[in-house]
Amino acid sequence: MSISMKSAESAQRDINKNKVKKGLAVVLGLISVLTFFFLPYIRFVFKNTTYIVSGFQLATVKGFRVQGPELSGLVTIPLLTRISVIAGALMAIAGIVLLLCKKPALAGAAYVISGITPLIVLITTSNIQTAVTQLNISKITIDYLWPAIYVLIAGIVCSVLSLWTQGTERLAESIFLVFSCVSVGSVIMITVYIFAAGAPAIMKIGLGHFVLGTQWNAEAQLFGILPLILSSIAGTIGAIVLGVPIGILTAVFLAETAKPRVAKLVHPAIELLAGIPSVIYGFFGMLVIVPAIRNFPPFQNNTIGDSLLAAILILAIMVLPTIVSVTETSLKAVPQAYREASLALGATPTKTIFKVSIPAARSGILAGVILGVGRAIGETMAVIMVAGNVANMPSLLGTVRLLTTGIAMEMSYASGLHREALFAIGLVLFVFIMIVNISFTYISKRGVQMDAE
Amino acid sequence: MPSSSLYGKKKRSSDTVLKILINAAAAITVITLLGIILYILFNGVPYISWSFVSTAYSETNDKLKGILPMIINTMYIVVITLLISAPIGISSAIYLTQYAKQGRLVKAIRFTTEVLSGIPSIIFGLFGYTVFCILFRLQTSILAGCLTMSLCILPTIIRTTEESLLSVPSNYKEGAMALGAGKLRVVMGIVLPCAMPGVLTAVILAMGRIVGESAALLFTSGLSYNMPKGFFQQIFASGRTLTLHLYQTAREAASPDAMHIAFATAAVLLILVFLLNRLAGLLSRALRKG
Repeated sequence: MSISMKSAESAQRDINKNKVKKGLAVVLGLISVLTFFFLPYIRFVFKNTTYIVSGFQLATVKGFRVQGPELSGLVTIPLLTRISVIAGALMAIAGIVLLLCKKPALAGAAYVISGITPLIVLITTSNIQTAVTQLNISKITIDYLWPAIYVLIAGIVCSVLSLWTQGTERLAESIFLVFSCVSVGSVIMITVYIFAAGAPAIMKIGLGHFVLGTQWNAEAQLFGILPLILSSIAGTIGAIVLGVPIGILTAVFLAETAKPRVAKLVHPAIELLAGIPSVIYGFFGMLVIVPAIRNFPPFQNNTIGDSLLAAILILAIMVLPTIVSVTETSLKAVPQAYREASLALGATPTKTIFKVSIPAARSGILAGVILGVGRAIGETMAVIMVAGNVANMPSLLGTVRLLTTGIAMEMSYASGLHREALFAIGLVLFVFIMIVNISFTYISKRGVQMDAE
Repeated sequence: MPSSSLYGKKKRSSDTVLKILINAAAAITVITLLGIILYILFNGVPYISWSFVSTAYSETNDKLKGILPMIINTMYIVVITLLISAPIGISSAIYLTQYAKQGRLVKAIRFTTEVLSGIPSIIFGLFGYTVFCILFRLQTSILAGCLTMSLCILPTIIRTTEESLLSVPSNYKEGAMALGAGKLRVVMGIVLPCAMPGVLTAVILAMGRIVGESAALLFTSGLSYNMPKGFFQQIFASGRTLTLHLYQTAREAASPDAMHIAFATAAVLLILVFLLNRLAGLLSRALRKG
């Protein structure tokens, strides 16, 4: 009897708690809406004129008349800014209504959207900044006043509160879910922004001229990246040709032939190799490999040392740990019975390794090689220090510029079309990497299926 | 004698060659590694001194050639990046291992995590520059660098945490559930504490990546070497990390003295990365034992 009374009591307490959460969410949401209508949202200072605007005004006013030193004009507010400000208020209202209609999950979503809108406003008002700069006003500040920050925080708090009315378990699950969507969201964002930033230059220059053009000269506005693409490909192929045999044989050593005691010593070495920062590889290459190439008797008068060869050597070292660790894992996954069967048939241990273990592990090894290709194409800082960075067609002893180094070299001072062209290089690199990535996923999946058979 | 054909060692020349090749490859790998490490340490360690790690840096003043600002910047970036990325990454791993049912969303999360780990850091740098520096108006600042880096290390954290969460025996969970604990209670009270060494390993691995990263920070956190004045002032200002300092000093080095600075910075960096690597190794061994 007393137990049931107690549970009834605690149920009553739960209902009361829920009422508090619900009430708080509604009140905070209402304040958020009121903030939007009546409180200053954003402050623009154009040289001497200051505008303080509420969210409602930001959505309805056409623009600001701005007096520049030479020109004056109407700076319009971007449509997206208007939409997002209105959406902020509407979503807060929607959240309140949904919460009162007992749809807490939907209310939570609406509140979150309302909370994000100040960030979208922040992003979209950068158009205003560029518009004003075109009127020759250099000093502009755009400040977000505390109500904008309030909307942001209130949106998140309200959404947590309204999800909480369904119980702590549901709230926790929703929070975990939202966080795990961050990686999905960021990949989408990265794809969108890399395309948005890179596409304009390709449009202006023309895809053919850009990808197949052989001249890169920023002063002459010549932006052909064929030398960069070919150098990147040559560097990657060279690194793979050198790195893969050594990597696979090292993995064979670790997984098959080495005594356990020796393997225990070598294994951490591979991990260390993977952990060394790429700048240190570049530094080492700059001080050891480059002079070695310069002073190597057969090359002596043909090269200054900074060359494709130096880049290949450094990249080969850098892809080693990737290839070794993936190959080792897949060799260790080969069933012991295969080896025993081969040995029982009279094959020597070495023959068993090359005719049985390696073929059985080939999809894993291929995945490792592709991963290595991805690393080699994307490597920047090590290569920049040894490759010489002149946009020549690739030749083994000549200076080269790769896609990655092309971006990193000139980004700090580029402007206008030049800068857009650098973003376009980023886009080309991104496309390369995506092809590599997707083929890696495909092959490693096929490997898993084969293992299952 | 018949026994000779069974037990006598019949050497084959191809076998010997292949064996030599295998050992040679392993030797090349180890010697390369040792060569790099010893070269850097041998040339760098003699120039590391207390004043080197405790003074500010200036390109013009010969008395100010320390790396204190870079150490502080690196620390800021490590701490803030982990504060952003660790909760997100650990929550993702918890969701993927404890809550998610196989479905489209889980597939999408796994696929994008894989894609994210394959994207080169220079692309992260470009993205961070367009989004965090320009669109969010953070300029080149440490905060922009941190936001960029937190995307870079997200896959590392998610994957390593996931592995350690999966290694928790399911009868621990079942026991707790049988005692009437709710799912959240089980996850937070049983699974996560049991997987703690693995989670810490993930965090330390991520720290190693942040310390070693350079391309993603080149345009986002910038190259300024001013002495940090205060935490909040500094995170909105540009600042170079140890890696970028090494890059910049090595490229601009004209005199032997400047080269010494680069060597010493490289040695500090290498030692730092080793310590983190060692710590991660010890922790993961503890996990395997526990």
